[in-house]
Amino acid sequence: MGRFVVRRLAGTAIVLFAVSVIVFLIFNVIPESDPAQSMAGKNATPTLVANITEEWGFEDPLPQQYLTMMRKIFTGDLISYEGRENVDERIVEGIPATFSLVVGAAVIWMFFGILFGYLSARKPGGRLDRALMIVSVTGISVPEFWLAAIFLNYLAFKLQLFPTGTYVPFTENPLEWATHLILPWVTLSILYIGFYSRVLRARMLDVMNEDYVRTARAKGLSERRVMTRHVLRNSLAPIVSLFGLDFGALLAGAIVVEYIFNLNGIGLYTFESLINQDLPPVIAVVLFGAFFIVLFNALVDVFYAFLDPRVKLGSEGR
Amino acid sequence: MSEQLLAVEDLRVGFATEGGAVQAVDGVSFELEEGEVLAIVGESGSGKSVTAQTIMGLTRGPNTRIEGSVRLEGRELLDAGEAELRRVRGERIAMIFQDPMSSFNPVYRIGAQVVEAIRAHRPQVSRGEAHERAIELLGSVGIPDPERRVDSYPHEFSGGMRQRAMIAMALALEPDILIADEPTTALDVTIQAQILELLRQINRERGLTTILITHDFGVVAELADRVLVMHEGRIVERGSLDDVFYATRDPYTRRLLGAVVRLDQAPPLRAARGEAPLLEVTDLVKHFPVRRGLLFDREVDRVRAVDGVSFSVAAGETLGLVGESGSGKSTLSRAVLQLLRPTSGSVRFEGREIAGLSRRRMQPLRAEMQMIFQDPYASLNPRKRIGQIVGEPLRLHGRASGAELRSRVGGLLERVGLAPEHYNRFPHEFSGGQRQRIGIARALALRPKLIVADEPVSALDVSIRAQILDLLSELQSEFGLTYIFVAHDIGVVRHISDRIAVMHEGRLVEQGPADSVCERPTDAYTKTLIAAVPVPDPRASRARRIQD
Repeated sequence: MGRFVVRRLAGTAIVLFAVSVIVFLIFNVIPESDPAQSMAGKNATPTLVANITEEWGFEDPLPQQYLTMMRKIFTGDLISYEGRENVDERIVEGIPATFSLVVGAAVIWMFFGILFGYLSARKPGGRLDRALMIVSVTGISVPEFWLAAIFLNYLAFKLQLFPTGTYVPFTENPLEWATHLILPWVTLSILYIGFYSRVLRARMLDVMNEDYVRTARAKGLSERRVMTRHVLRNSLAPIVSLFGLDFGALLAGAIVVEYIFNLNGIGLYTFESLINQDLPPVIAVVLFGAFFIVLFNALVDVFYAFLDPRVKLGSEGR
Repeated sequence: MSEQLLAVEDLRVGFATEGGAVQAVDGVSFELEEGEVLAIVGESGSGKSVTAQTIMGLTRGPNTRIEGSVRLEGRELLDAGEAELRRVRGERIAMIFQDPMSSFNPVYRIGAQVVEAIRAHRPQVSRGEAHERAIELLGSVGIPDPERRVDSYPHEFSGGMRQRAMIAMALALEPDILIADEPTTALDVTIQAQILELLRQINRERGLTTILITHDFGVVAELADRVLVMHEGRIVERGSLDDVFYATRDPYTRRLLGAVVRLDQAPPLRAARGEAPLLEVTDLVKHFPVRRGLLFDREVDRVRAVDGVSFSVAAGETLGLVGESGSGKSTLSRAVLQLLRPTSGSVRFEGREIAGLSRRRMQPLRAEMQMIFQDPYASLNPRKRIGQIVGEPLRLHGRASGAELRSRVGGLLERVGLAPEHYNRFPHEFSGGQRQRIGIARALALRPKLIVADEPVSALDVSIRAQILDLLSELQSEFGLTYIFVAHDIGVVRHISDRIAVMHEGRLVEQGPADSVCERPTDAYTKTLIAAVPVPDPRASRARRIQD
């Protein structure tokens, strides 16, 4: 376990370094992206632009600019070009909305993904399987932005079943918090429900042909016990690894859903920063997201070792 | 008239498949006497396993048609509901399977799986009591230190231990009938002998009625009281053990018994071989490093797969290399061919050192030495046509192309007993035996001097096995081939080899002329190995048991 943690921490450092360098370089090779020019405004005088360039160090050699930026991210001193706000503070402000959205949606999609996958695998080719197949393929095919717009227009504006407006903190009013998040949760989870249930179904059909499932039946176990304890339990691995990636990535902001439902989370902040070619927040958010992806991948490996005792943490060639 | 324990009457099982209906079992009737061991013998596809699984209701499904009758003490099982069937499974009839690794759920502890079986039928038994019972059962089938091993996972057990645990699980509810479906096929021969002894002991001491499903007449002779021989879904021969072996009526059974390669019979005299050594292996070592480390891996241990092996093979002779799984025989054969780079030692082919030759310098020599593999399914690319597969070595070495290539491949196919018209077919269109012929044709294409055959007949049925062995012998005398024949089955090896080398834990423990190794072994391990081979001769096997 200790070896595993050390290796993962080293790996995380390397990934974060590589990701930050790549984002930094991309921004510096985009043509016509002189941040000093845009910060100076429309009627900028050359002196003003020169002053800003001087003050922010835009003329410094790239490695030095990079190091300065990294130091500021980790000391909490990073200031965005647009609006000159403290980036780290803005990200922290966005955490409640984003995490509420993503954690809630994840609970929904894991529950229904596993339920639908399990139900379809129980009688493959049966009526329920075919109905669920249609549901999940529809879920996978429908674009998020379209679904979000439809939900907002019909369920929120016309029927007024759900409130419109922005995120309400849980500490302020738990009920409002939930009602404001229902539509975003559903929108975000539908794609994953479809996807996860298909993956689980396919895996379960494979596992059902395993010898140990035959053994379980030959022992006289009930069909339900065979399906849950033996088939489902041994089919969870692909779902778990998908979940680690998807969940980690979304924690850095569900850009489309946050934007359409006007949830002031990290995704919305990312979106605005991208539009403004505002490098500091973008690089900070990317690092933030990369950190979670790496973290959840490590957690997935830990969970794998729990799911399958043959997996040993820290030994590569398994 | 008293009710039979189990009566199967005119059982028919058909499966609807994409290729049409398949009648797997076609009118099978038999009765089971209390306390006996009934062997159902047959080659793959004979319907023996389907029969056994249908008794348990395990073949039920939307694509299966089951007719006839299976009665357990007069109660019909074929139309029993799922709930009633569940009470029969495990409680009245228990089953053990061929591969004890894949038959245990890898994610639960052995003990938990035994406890699950007990509590599925006796919910009133507490978890703790069931656990105690599991320990007792594991101890009773010869698992040492059962208090500790009960909490092991299946992968922490050896193959033999797993099969013992599987038997313990089957005995958990004291069933009336045990169905053992190829219980020793996946095991090494010395382990097989132990499991057969355990099954015999259980049958004798507990009076447990047993149905033994197997393809191996040796196993039958060791264990069975009564025998049914199945062929294409029907029973073609039935009778007491001695009747089936010594008063065989059915011609198919006679052919099958005749095809069995026996260790205790000397093969026909083989022609004398040349003396000049084609291959000389001296002190060959292949170690695999085990690497571990905090951040960077370093070697902490090594697996000594081949640990100082020397032998030589004369031109035109066959050296049989025998060993159980893990003995290092496959690693050795690959290291000899330079498919694996040896750690140290020398391999001289026609007097020339080839150990450590670069890939490029080795390339022309590859034509001289070819390999035949065990699994005729996995070793042929499923997306290539037979002609391409057999012709590929010729093309790669620039020996032939175009029409000439085609005609040479046609000739090769004919030589191994296939038709030139098979040129454009795909591997899946052939049976196991035919596929092995394709593998042989591919190995022959470049007219090699040396062929290393790694378990070439282990995956084949008895009757096919004999044909392939004959083909290999014919080809040897026709083309003056030299063979290294690698196998776990010393009976098969004796049948084809001039000399035998026995491998154990990375070393050659004994080598010498085939007859003297088999009849007068000097090494202790060789003796164990030979004693463990089941003899397909009930009288001999009884005599041996009395001696022990």
